[in-house]
Amino acid sequence: MTAQIAPDPAPDENSVAPSSGPSAPAIELVNAARWYGNVVAVNDVSFSLGPGVTGLLGPNGAGKTTLLHMLAGFLAPSAGKVTVLGRSPHRDPSVYRQIGLVPEREAVYPFLTGLDYVRFNARLQGLPNAEVASRDAIHRVGLDDAMDRAIGTYSKGMRQRAKVAGALVHDPQILLLDEPFNGMDPRQRLAMMDLLGQMAAAGRTILFSSHILEEVERVGTEILVMVAGRLAASGDYRAIRALMTDRPHTITIRSSDDRRLATALMADPAVFAVELEKDMLSVRTAHLSTFRRLIAGASRSAGVRLFEVVSTDESLESVFDYLVRR
Amino acid sequence: MTLTRSVAAVPLVIQVTLRQLLGRRRTILLLLLAAVPVLLSIVFWAAGHASVHDFAVSVLDAVGVTLLLPIVAVLFGTAAFGAEIEDGTIVYLLAKPISRWAIVVAKLVGAAGMTALLTVASVFVSGAIVLAPLGEDGAAATRAFVAAMIVGSICYVSVFLVVSLFTRRALLIGLAYVLIWEGALSNLLPGIANLSIRQYSVGVANAFWQMTPEEARLSPSTALPLAVVVVVVALVIATWRLMRFELPGGSD
Repeated sequence: MTAQIAPDPAPDENSVAPSSGPSAPAIELVNAARWYGNVVAVNDVSFSLGPGVTGLLGPNGAGKTTLLHMLAGFLAPSAGKVTVLGRSPHRDPSVYRQIGLVPEREAVYPFLTGLDYVRFNARLQGLPNAEVASRDAIHRVGLDDAMDRAIGTYSKGMRQRAKVAGALVHDPQILLLDEPFNGMDPRQRLAMMDLLGQMAAAGRTILFSSHILEEVERVGTEILVMVAGRLAASGDYRAIRALMTDRPHTITIRSSDDRRLATALMADPAVFAVELEKDMLSVRTAHLSTFRRLIAGASRSAGVRLFEVVSTDESLESVFDYLVRR
Repeated sequence: MTLTRSVAAVPLVIQVTLRQLLGRRRTILLLLLAAVPVLLSIVFWAAGHASVHDFAVSVLDAVGVTLLLPIVAVLFGTAAFGAEIEDGTIVYLLAKPISRWAIVVAKLVGAAGMTALLTVASVFVSGAIVLAPLGEDGAAATRAFVAAMIVGSICYVSVFLVVSLFTRRALLIGLAYVLIWEGALSNLLPGIANLSIRQYSVGVANAFWQMTPEEARLSPSTALPLAVVVVVVALVIATWRLMRFELPGGSD
């Protein structure tokens, strides 16, 4: 997926061309839209995904769940095209052999034990050895100790893990997860993130929605950002940050002589502003790569030793904040 | 998607449906309802002068077929899909590579089976208390109303399954159908017997035990085919609807 930022919202101008890969994408949306009466939930969204983990970010009401339900075949696009493994998932139950879905809603059959539930999924998938696959899935989500307890007695985090086990028991090519980390404690979250990473490394295509930026940042770097039904950006969030040229990068520097270094940097047109703070220098520049080359030469010619150079706003939070507020 | 996988899914979905339907409150309520004909039977038995006809018409038909059967059927029939749609667990069935007809058939078998079990048990116990001592006529009346309960269970539940796939107010609509259409209008307008599941049920009962034309307005040869048509049409519509079932977008 190539990093892209959609232009500022304007009718018919915000679509992002699908990236082209060496093979057919596992998931592809072309100008896909979904509306309910006069309410537009997803508007003219295009992207494609191959193997790996991608975070689907957006504030509440951005259209994340609608998008996932379209991919899972539970909503037909009102316009455009949605394909999963090269075909439309809508009204085609056979596609679920290759899709695992973890819905946002918490409810799982409360009267089944965790193992019963996963086994139920395995048998409906027609797995030849449902028992072994079920126990393996339970083990992968770390529910071994609770697998014989009724799901009705589970905590929210345990229910989430049971849902994930049920979704991956048939080893699907594509895993769609809607807010999968909800209710998990930090240890469980880390374990689940590891699991998703392992599946991605094994060639699976994983798309998960979240509004918690830390989660997305920890699992991977590829993101899709939905804002008000539109795809605001897609790709590696660090590359997206680099494309945000209308917002200068802020870099903090610690050196052996901040004042002398400030004077040297101010002479370069790539630098917008330099601010001397208590024991560091804060620099704003439009072009991070140019600045990286500049700082090396400037410090050398000024005879200043660099102790630390940190870009303070390259985090996913910064990218997300920028895209949502734009 | 193979036929084998879809067929194999039916018993699995039936099992889950049964466990879902047998929630404690619903079960207690329905057991109490099923006990009503039995209690009335005890009253008849204690009074000691019941005829087969009086008991069959005033308890098995008026209470069993007219009230108990449709109420049990509406509660099970609308809950089979309704509860799963309400709490969102329907997604765990739909996100599977199985034909939609298999899910519909499983829900029908589960809900109609429970309805039939409860209503047949009620008729059977009631019949054993009052009708068994009254000879072959009593046994024939019991068989007749057992058949009515079985046919009525399948027919009512298949219709209520369909309604629950179109609206979240299926229970209300089902009760309105039972009370207004079948309870009031069918008595006032005899012509609508062809559109009354109650009449299909007693029409089938008529094959085992003779009723008057006022009590059973349809002959068995009319009632049974109509009942079959209703079930088949309901299964087709339910499958069609489930294939087009959409999950809402949610808050995100």
